[in-house]
Amino acid sequence: MRFRFAFAVAAACAVFSVVSGAPLFAQAPPGPIAPHVVATADESKTTLSVRVVAYTIDAKLDATKHTIAATETLTYKNLTGKPQQTFPFHLYLNAFQPQSTFETEVRRSGTRGAGPNSEWEPKHFGSITVDKFEADGSGDLTSKMEFIQPDDGNTGDHTVFQVALAKPVAPGDSVTFHLTFHDQLPEVVERTGYKRDFDMVGQWFPKVGVWWHDAWNCHQFHANTEFFADFGTFDVKVTVPQNEIVGAGGDLVSTVQNSDGTKTLAYHSEDVHDFSWTASPSFTVVEDSWAGPNGPVAMHVLMSPGNMPSAQRYIDVLKGTLRLFNEWYGPYPYDRITVVDPPHGGQDAGGMEYPTLITCGTNWNMPKGALLPEIVTEHEFGHQYWYGMVATNEFEEAWLDEGINSYTEVKIMDELYGKDHSALNFPFAQLGEQGAQRISYLSSPDSDPLSRFAWKFRNNNSYGAVTYGKTATMLLTLEKVIGEDTLRQGIHTYFMRYRFTHPTGEDFIKTIEEVSGKDLHWYFNQAIYGTQVFDYEVDDAHSDPLKWWDTSMAHPKPADGIYRTYVTVRRKGDFTFPVDLVVKFDDGSTATEHWDGQDRWMRYQYDRKAEIVSAQIDPQNQILLDKNFFNNSYNDKSDSTAVHKFRNLWVFASEWLSQILSWLT
Amino acid sequence: MARSEDGTFFGGAGLVWKWQRLLWWIFAINVIFAFFATQGMVDRLTPAISHSAESQAFVHGFDVSQMVSLMGQPDSPLEFQAPTVTHFSVVFMILMLFFTGGIVAAYVRDERPTATTFFEACGHHFWRFLRLLLYMLIVFLPIGGLVAFASHMYDKIDDKSISPFPAVQFFVASAVVILLLMVIVRIWFDMAQVIAVAEDEKRMHKALRLAFGLFRRNFFSLLWLYLRVSIIAVVIVGLCLRLWMLGLKPESTVAAFLLSQFMLLIWIATRLWQRASEAIWYRQNAPVVSPEPVWTPPPVIAPIAMGEPEPYIPPTT
Repeated sequence: MRFRFAFAVAAACAVFSVVSGAPLFAQAPPGPIAPHVVATADESKTTLSVRVVAYTIDAKLDATKHTIAATETLTYKNLTGKPQQTFPFHLYLNAFQPQSTFETEVRRSGTRGAGPNSEWEPKHFGSITVDKFEADGSGDLTSKMEFIQPDDGNTGDHTVFQVALAKPVAPGDSVTFHLTFHDQLPEVVERTGYKRDFDMVGQWFPKVGVWWHDAWNCHQFHANTEFFADFGTFDVKVTVPQNEIVGAGGDLVSTVQNSDGTKTLAYHSEDVHDFSWTASPSFTVVEDSWAGPNGPVAMHVLMSPGNMPSAQRYIDVLKGTLRLFNEWYGPYPYDRITVVDPPHGGQDAGGMEYPTLITCGTNWNMPKGALLPEIVTEHEFGHQYWYGMVATNEFEEAWLDEGINSYTEVKIMDELYGKDHSALNFPFAQLGEQGAQRISYLSSPDSDPLSRFAWKFRNNNSYGAVTYGKTATMLLTLEKVIGEDTLRQGIHTYFMRYRFTHPTGEDFIKTIEEVSGKDLHWYFNQAIYGTQVFDYEVDDAHSDPLKWWDTSMAHPKPADGIYRTYVTVRRKGDFTFPVDLVVKFDDGSTATEHWDGQDRWMRYQYDRKAEIVSAQIDPQNQILLDKNFFNNSYNDKSDSTAVHKFRNLWVFASEWLSQILSWLT
Repeated sequence: MARSEDGTFFGGAGLVWKWQRLLWWIFAINVIFAFFATQGMVDRLTPAISHSAESQAFVHGFDVSQMVSLMGQPDSPLEFQAPTVTHFSVVFMILMLFFTGGIVAAYVRDERPTATTFFEACGHHFWRFLRLLLYMLIVFLPIGGLVAFASHMYDKIDDKSISPFPAVQFFVASAVVILLLMVIVRIWFDMAQVIAVAEDEKRMHKALRLAFGLFRRNFFSLLWLYLRVSIIAVVIVGLCLRLWMLGLKPESTVAAFLLSQFMLLIWIATRLWQRASEAIWYRQNAPVVSPEPVWTPPPVIAPIAMGEPEPYIPPTT
């Protein structure tokens, strides 16, 4: 499967190169890589990350029109080891136009905010226009800017442009770009935009691509893709009306009240790869802090009207998450985290991560038993690690951030709120995070491999099911192979080793193998690079008197008391995995078998003075990839309690539907 | 007046109790239909989970993930029986339309409903009540329009308002108004059914007109009569639901079944209570219908002979 996958990737790269006419944009094949950036000795001593970019942005928000006028100065340090003359830039906001690749894909297959066949709504129009582009040493290059479409050749897509300098930038040298641009924010769509007086300003400035695997990596914005960028520093000034309350992914350096009724807030952030901010006059600010090993972490929670009952829930889960991430995976190095609670109707801006700023989601009547605010907050904070610091390529290997983050979400939520009810906790219904991820996985278990580029999934559902649910389920199942503690240690090692870099899936796999001391390619080849279906079952389990032909021994029990018991287990799917089988007998004895699962089926036979009571594969339900838990066991005695329970519910529903209809008569 | 209303209210309950066989039959038919509607699900579910250890996920709690997982299996052992349940519910509705004539007749006449009298009344009024149902659907059309308008307004308020609460308040207010309108229509048509039975009125538009006038003149009296019983029903069912969700042990399937059926029984009983109260109210308050003037021939007067006039005889002094 890995070969086929690599072949597919190589073929896709060739096609894209031809279509785009931009050979610079060859896509990176999966596999082991050398370190992708060259750090100088001085830098690695003094900074958390190798700082490739330094952005200085001065932006002014028109809160009525929801537009931003800005200037940007970007200093790019050429650490690619090669002279660079052509530079690509992202213009993400241009995705929100009817002919963009994003909208084309949304129309075809849907995305998280809109289903297939969704109509284009003009209120969701968004744009970013570069009015002026200059580079030191090259002068005004505005006329040389050229939209490119490295992924699909859709000329209607203006989410990436490139520009060639007058002369190359030598390795180790820097180049400074000066841009003037303006944004039109859309009404909230896909994580960004406005709703009434609320502005969520994300992916809003021209952002340079990443030199990665010996090529520029600067993908168009797709329905299912997120982001990828280099680390650096951000000095951002935001000018807004004085009544606006602002939150941002940086430390507030200064606030200046201007004479025209505006104020300018200056922020600084370093060792991050993005900067976002939000503004609304309706926010209520809740401040708290968490004492971490690296010093206090300030928590700024910006609550929207009506949602204040959830503020403490955000803070509680954030503190718990910070504590456990620090204990289990590694230190949180920043001194702040901002939580943005979008207003009602603006939930499309919720559930999103930016460096040191996350957006969550709740509503005015969120019941305590529904742990959605906690889950979203935990998940988005987890991205500070898986995306924020371990800055994987979200376009090409989304499972490395969303998937690993979904796994750690399960572990953290289970630890904080209890394993079997960490998602829903009502007296009449419960749902654990583990189960929630498994439900997600089961909704599309075999359409796409984890390793597929994010925009190449069959549809939005498959992307979500596989990238989030299957990765989490795959890692939970891996605990069965190497142990929970070993996997935790492996993820800790992966984080510490690759934080502030751009690792790949192979880096993750190699780290887990190294920490566990096991060759796990047999597993990862199926679970990550394959689409094999996992389903084991107890096909048959019964006992028979050994001398069944001797009628004198038949009833009530054979005179010699000996039964022959058969248990047949079967692998229904293609996924091979070693499983444990526990057989229980009515004299209290048990037999435990370990089947390697290589063949299609295996029969076990026991001659004992006891009849079978039950046979069960994976009694602890640790193999969560198994599609069907219900055929994993066979109890000799039938128990209809669950059936009765379902019948009660369905009968009740049927009766009440009848009553509602008959009210009309 | 209050005493009279109380008499109607409690008298209705007494009538339901008195002719309780109606209640039990309706309840039994509803339960039997529900069992038929869900039998397919039980047939598929039993072999899939009754021998599986995993079924315990539903016994000592209710694991939503396992339910979803079960629903996603290829042979769909837990497939929602929506079409079957809907079909049985529609059939039940038609049956209730048929039975309503017999039920109302029993309450209006206050006579023991034997099979003969009951089904005779059912058949006698079925087509009339079917026409009434069609009329009611027509009356509900503008209410449907109002629902659409309220929904549109809700979206608009929710979209414009910075706080979520104005939209919530609008939703609650509009829901109350719409429910009230539906109840008013229901009472009007209930009274039309009572009039149709009591007066053996064949013309449903006339029954509706009479019922409308009657209801208009006694609006609050009839509305309160209906709402009082509704409130009792909602409170009892709400308390039972709460007990089911919070009070019963997850594994108490028998208790849960009995409780759920008790809720259904209460619901049916209170609906019959409303009908019985309306019937009594009508008996007590029905306008005295003046009989159609009967034509009688005028008295025969013997003709006076047109002969010579009587001679004038002057008075004597």
